[in-house]
Amino acid sequence: MASRAATVRPPSSFHTIWRSTTRFARTWPYLIPALVFFVGWQLWPIIRALWISFTNFSFLLDDSPESAKWIGFENYVNALQDPLVRDGLLNAAIFTAIFLPGMVFLPMVTAVLVDRVRNQKLATTYRLILLIPAMIPGPLIFILWVWMYSNGIGPINYVLVDVLGVYDLANQPTWLGSTNTTFVSLALMEWWWGLGFHTMFYLAGLSTIPKELYESARVDGASEWRIFWKITFARLRPILLVLVVLRFGTAYALIDEYILTGGFDRSKPTYTWTVYMWDTAFQVGDQNRGYAAAIGWIGTVGMLAVVLWLFYAFRNRD
Amino acid sequence: MDDRDVLEDLAERLEAGMSRADVLTRGAVAGASIYGLSALFGAGTAFAGMEARPLTPTFYQWIYGLYPDIPGKLNKEYAKRTRLDAKIAPVQGFGIDRFVAEAKKKKSTWDVYVGMTPFVEMGALIESGTIEPWDKYISKSVLNDLIPSIRAEATYKGNIWSFPFLLDIIIQAWNGELVKKAGLNPNKAPKTWDEFIANAKKVVSSKAAPYGAVFDAHGWRSLAPIAHTFSTNVYTPEGLFDFTSDAAVNALEIMKRLMEVAPKNILEEGKVDGGVNTTPDEEAFAARQAAYYIKYQNAPTRFAGTWPDPSVLHIAGLPKKPGGAGGTVFWNTGAALFKYGQNKRQAADYMRFLTYDVRIWQHALGKDVRGASGQLSPYKSHWAKWEKSPPPWMADWAFTVRKELATSKAIRTHKFGLTQFVLGKPAWEAYLKGDEKNARKALAKAKALVQAEVKKSRKP
Repeated sequence: MASRAATVRPPSSFHTIWRSTTRFARTWPYLIPALVFFVGWQLWPIIRALWISFTNFSFLLDDSPESAKWIGFENYVNALQDPLVRDGLLNAAIFTAIFLPGMVFLPMVTAVLVDRVRNQKLATTYRLILLIPAMIPGPLIFILWVWMYSNGIGPINYVLVDVLGVYDLANQPTWLGSTNTTFVSLALMEWWWGLGFHTMFYLAGLSTIPKELYESARVDGASEWRIFWKITFARLRPILLVLVVLRFGTAYALIDEYILTGGFDRSKPTYTWTVYMWDTAFQVGDQNRGYAAAIGWIGTVGMLAVVLWLFYAFRNRD
Repeated sequence: MDDRDVLEDLAERLEAGMSRADVLTRGAVAGASIYGLSALFGAGTAFAGMEARPLTPTFYQWIYGLYPDIPGKLNKEYAKRTRLDAKIAPVQGFGIDRFVAEAKKKKSTWDVYVGMTPFVEMGALIESGTIEPWDKYISKSVLNDLIPSIRAEATYKGNIWSFPFLLDIIIQAWNGELVKKAGLNPNKAPKTWDEFIANAKKVVSSKAAPYGAVFDAHGWRSLAPIAHTFSTNVYTPEGLFDFTSDAAVNALEIMKRLMEVAPKNILEEGKVDGGVNTTPDEEAFAARQAAYYIKYQNAPTRFAGTWPDPSVLHIAGLPKKPGGAGGTVFWNTGAALFKYGQNKRQAADYMRFLTYDVRIWQHALGKDVRGASGQLSPYKSHWAKWEKSPPPWMADWAFTVRKELATSKAIRTHKFGLTQFVLGKPAWEAYLKGDEKNARKALAKAKALVQAEVKKSRKP
């Protein structure tokens, strides 16, 4: 017993340190690129923007954020009392509420319909046609739709005014200029643009659902509607969650389309919190980036809260 | 720059301790060439080529687009005299961030920025310490040759901050074909606002075109220029546009009357550059849906170039208010000198070379509107020569528009020079849309919106 105890000696501290060091030297260097990317490309800008939001950093007046004055929560307090921030957050929420259902459910319905096409050549043709808008670069999409909506030369108003005579030149709709129609017009453009791409997500999901499930349900006498809800929709929930979260983020933080259609006109619904943030940071007065960062953080925290709720709402209930 | 100018320039620099005669004597004694003289007195590094890098100007891209001769011919010719490395500026929608960021580090990749408009970004570039005045480098002969109103625009707090180059001015233009179709004289410009609006109404009532007139709804392209026809005294002591002045109120009332003959979407933002360009007025005038037009001269010339017969385009000064100032708004897109750049004297020489080259103006003011930008030369000597003997290539309207400079003014340089019109626009548009019945009240609200934003500034 005593001799055995003598042979199973605990490793010396030198050995422990040596082994740890060599293991560290063998493994960690491989992580350095990922760490550099994560810290430098993602974490650092976030921390920097957060820090700037607590200063009065103005791009035209201060040499750097470090030379600006630390003002605590002053930017946040002011921003929360600023009607432009409040209206901006509300307008972004209204657009998101219009945009999101169409962006998520239209592709789902399309995918279910395309999935039922049995002729392979026809199914491939449908898929190709659906994907065409997704292949077009953003700026071209904007130009195309702004032309479509144009009062003077757009085909939509041409049909409404000159062909159908529903409107005349004086009362024709100004799709991107009117408060009531701007968001719907923009949402329509986004739906068209994203339809094919999102349909592919659902088609991928549909291909993983075993066909036997449908056959069994039909043998048991389930209606097509019930089959859709209980099998198709239920099995597509993870994809739905991904799309809802992704597209909620892009909709609530949308900026390019707003600037394109409404410029920096503060009376337009397109002057949302993102446009206000950009305007404050890069255009107006001293370019107060501390205040702009605070606006950005208020919007971001609001978005994170909604995303957390979405994860909860779409949690796996199995 | 010819030799006489170099000598003049050297003499100016040595004014305190040396006379012009001294300079000449020394030069003669030394037997130096003009380039030798420059090097001898340490003044003309531009000519002696003593700087570490070639002269590095950077251009706003549209300038290259409108004047392909600059990269295609002029820069190549200048490069034979001295090393030149011209570039396209990293600016978008008047963004000056890169320039300011470099200045904070006390450096500049470029020596001179060709594309600065005083009322747009000059105030911010000065305040951030990014640019320096041209005074030490620009010769007196050039300064004295500038049309006075242009020189005034380039001057801020006693110094010249912009080397003037391409001048845009708000004018009236009309499509002669549509005007004739309406039974009006296509060769006669409406002289007053009443006449202009009456003509526009006749175009609509005669069904010659769907719209009588169009204008660009951005304040610096409509509200301010129309106000200047009443009075050019429409600026507050700190240099902001006085929205509550009588002239501004009159201008807004004119705009309201113009709305009756304009497309319904006329107040919409443009499609590019953050809503600033490709505006609804352009679409209507280009598509020959509107007869009369108020905008800077480059717009109608550009669109007429797409018509079957561009010669039906007519251009004249803005209509007047009898007894009013009869002015308009102009702006000169000039060059800014980077404080931390190099080759400063050479930069002034290069700008002089560009701005005096007649090929630029032949292109800008040519009879054939296709490709003609319509921008005016800032030099008195050019105009004197052309008036004395009108060049065969020059468009007829050029002299009419040039005359407008005598009574016109630029919008004053201020950090909020451009943004004041963006900030105030929703308030005065409420009047144009009929949401507010009183023009003065609408403009008072616009003023309040601008003042609120100015107050937020740490250095108002």
